[in-house]
Amino acid sequence: MAVKKTFRAGVFSVVKHCYLPRAVAAHPRFELVVVTDDANQPDWVHKRNQLFADEFGIPYVTDVANTIAEYNLDIAAVSPEVERHCDLAVRAADAGLHVIADKPLSTRLSDCDRLVETVQHNKVKFMLWNRNYLPAVIQAKEAIASGAIGELHSIHVDFYFSKDAGPPKGSRKEGDPPIDWLERQMEAHADGSDGGVGTEAMGELQIEGIYPLGYMHLLTGQNVQRVFARTATHFHQANVDNNVDDLATVSLELDGGIVGSLCIGRIGAASHPDIGEIKIHAIGSEGGLVITEARPEVSIYYRDQSPLEFKNERIANENDFLLMEDFARSLDTGSEPILNAKNGRDIAATVFAAVESGKSGQPVKVIY
Amino acid sequence: MIRLALISKTETAEAYGILSTRLHRAAWVAYASVDCGDSGKALGQVIETDTADALFADKADAFDAVVIDADQSSTERLAKTASSLGKPVLFRACSLGGLGQKKTLMMPSHPWRFMPSIQSVKHSLEAGKLGQAGLMRIHRWLPSYKCGISNTERILPDADLACWMFGGAPETVWSLQSAANPGYIQFHLGFANEGMAMIDIAGSLPSGSDYFSMTMIGGTGAAYADDHHNMNLLYNGGHPNALRTSQGKVYLIRELQEFVDAIIEKRKPSVTPADTAMAVEVVKRIVDSAESRQVIGRKEAN
Repeated sequence: MAVKKTFRAGVFSVVKHCYLPRAVAAHPRFELVVVTDDANQPDWVHKRNQLFADEFGIPYVTDVANTIAEYNLDIAAVSPEVERHCDLAVRAADAGLHVIADKPLSTRLSDCDRLVETVQHNKVKFMLWNRNYLPAVIQAKEAIASGAIGELHSIHVDFYFSKDAGPPKGSRKEGDPPIDWLERQMEAHADGSDGGVGTEAMGELQIEGIYPLGYMHLLTGQNVQRVFARTATHFHQANVDNNVDDLATVSLELDGGIVGSLCIGRIGAASHPDIGEIKIHAIGSEGGLVITEARPEVSIYYRDQSPLEFKNERIANENDFLLMEDFARSLDTGSEPILNAKNGRDIAATVFAAVESGKSGQPVKVIY
Repeated sequence: MIRLALISKTETAEAYGILSTRLHRAAWVAYASVDCGDSGKALGQVIETDTADALFADKADAFDAVVIDADQSSTERLAKTASSLGKPVLFRACSLGGLGQKKTLMMPSHPWRFMPSIQSVKHSLEAGKLGQAGLMRIHRWLPSYKCGISNTERILPDADLACWMFGGAPETVWSLQSAANPGYIQFHLGFANEGMAMIDIAGSLPSGSDYFSMTMIGGTGAAYADDHHNMNLLYNGGHPNALRTSQGKVYLIRELQEFVDAIIEKRKPSVTPADTAMAVEVVKRIVDSAESRQVIGRKEAN
């Protein structure tokens, strides 16, 4: 049996919950060799980078250009604050590295466009992190692809994360300063709910919208042309203070005459026994499909169980491995990864249009 | 004891007949068919007349209140007659065009509000367990054979549920239809205090069961009433079949009991013509939005 190449991976900043570089490290075709970041980053960034490098016994180098030059890297695993995703990814791609980047892609569409252009110009592969290989999502894909519900007419994703995000709405006392977004996200690092880490505040649509919209992209293969959204700040004081949504509904008009909808929210830990109610509903010419994204799962209850512990555990979840498998296949064969830079950019454009619609109260065309 | 008369088809009489032993402080005493050949036998030993007009003309002294389940134009005419005789009326509602204001008790039938699952969600909300209503999500899919009804009849139940849960009419309405699936509509309602409802109704399932799912997300909790959660499995070869555990017909008796209790207690029933009027107005805005592809606010609808 021919031994396939092992790809040398550099971790380009790792300031969030670090599932992405861990998934890279866990796949036998990839090897973490270095952590790198810019020297001018704040201390907390360097501390988190150093901690991760120490855990894996690899160096931490505070010079991105030198790291690229000296470590003979094949890929960059990019996981900084959201507003730096595209910058680090572009610098890696410009140096000929393939890139895996955490979600969301960026806080600006212009950054996404620059990334797409750079990836295409340098003929490298790019994968945006997603959940499209969850077992139930694969099941939905197979059912639709097999024609079990006929021609797809409409698709709906309900995506409620039952996580808290600091103090509840209405808890700020008179005279208290508003909650600083970055400080709140840094606190959230302890429980892994710091998906929106960065200086620019982001609502739930921006932070998590990639996942349900990724499902829609996978299941329909179509782009969204127009959206109408309603957004609200219903749960969390940090979202109120920073004027970003934590609950949203979006109507979507997709190519091919497909209509869709998305309901999304960070609805609080009390509102669901597990990580949240996440479902896919699809209607076709011959039937309908209702999928719970968390399945298969196992229920576990016991005396003195923490109220915060999920009672149902996802099982057989190989999403991380299968994403890396997908990326390895892409590097081996030249095929496109399951969610490439252009797909990620188009999803980001849909999110930005939805945020704009939520503010204007009018339907908004997605920019392509 | 309230003496009840029913004007309906046989099926409705049968549905009420099965449940009649559960009714408190009321009993069926009279029946009139809406079509020749209908029978009220299922109600027990009651006075029967061939027509509703005969019931009102000849037997009006025999009953105190009347339940009408007929087509829209008949309902309006019969409800007016009943009201003119001072009889409280529970009637099937989809339009209130000709009814106007009445002094007698008029309760439009909104049976969807009395479904056990919906009642459970509503009670949780009213008890403050869920906090302020934030988002109501409904998926309602029907087999195509159940959809030989008007848009108003198909959309009205969920438009009403949304108004009921949020305590008023929406400020904005946005709707989408599917060119490929004429039996589909999606509507997006924006309520005061940032409340929102997202509802999709499909009338294109193959013949067989329907599907319903409602989620209510509040500020401090959430409720999930989902057929998907209530499926059991039957194994008889191949893939298992999903069997939904039925909520039964208890909603009919709950609605009827509310009607009876409102009469006895001399109070407004929990469902009033104003509720139906509000839902009908929202349905009009939903249809307007789907046709115009515009967001319809309250003023545009006036």
